[in-house]
Amino acid sequence: MTVSLQAEPIDVVAEYAALVGGAPGAAVATFTGYVRNHTGENPVGALELEHYPEMALRVLEELGQQAAERFGLLRWRIVHRFGVLPVSETIVWVGAMADHRGEAISACECMMDMLKTDAPFWKREQGPSGARWVASCESDGQRRARWERGERA
Amino acid sequence: MSITIKLFASLREALGQSEFQLELGAIPVENEASSVINVASIKAALSARGSQWHDALNQPNLVHALNHKVVYLDAIVADGDELALFPPMTGG
Repeated sequence: MTVSLQAEPIDVVAEYAALVGGAPGAAVATFTGYVRNHTGENPVGALELEHYPEMALRVLEELGQQAAERFGLLRWRIVHRFGVLPVSETIVWVGAMADHRGEAISACECMMDMLKTDAPFWKREQGPSGARWVASCESDGQRRARWERGERA
Repeated sequence: MSITIKLFASLREALGQSEFQLELGAIPVENEASSVINVASIKAALSARGSQWHDALNQPNLVHALNHKVVYLDAIVADGDELALFPPMTGG
């Protein structure tokens, strides 16, 4: 039921424990995104994440609330990092708790798909040949559109 | 009567600034009869600052967010608003 934007690495174990609390419900699903060491054939040394703090907070809170209503979540949480992120570090973490696995898993996927295209973050990859802004991906838009049409993944 | 303009990512880099105030009095109104200033009017006024501004602001898929919400070009802009311009988002 909350959103965090933070520069420091995400403590996935602590986040999981806080999401579940004293009552795990019946189904808990989470997703963690990490910095890859490559994009296609290009090596990546680190990722810079620029963000628009006030809007990012608002968009992520709306996304979480929409997912909670749509999938009947008991609890949810979204954590997104900003700043310079070394390879293999966490970028994003989402968690959802529901009565059944389908809702929990779908909620995580839906929150991630919407977040990719709607939350104001911009990635810039640092590599041996310099830094470059990451272009938006057409498949991200297609994944988002499925949820708009009411389809499941 | 002014608004805050915020620029992000490649747009911020191309134009060399991240935030500035824009006087609305200097913006030509979109519709003389209604004196309406919308996102399109702001974009046109900024584009007239030179080829660098024109090229950066007329790239395909530029996103406009008014007071932290994505809007179309016809959204009405008022005194004190915050208009952010940026390329498509790539978080997650």
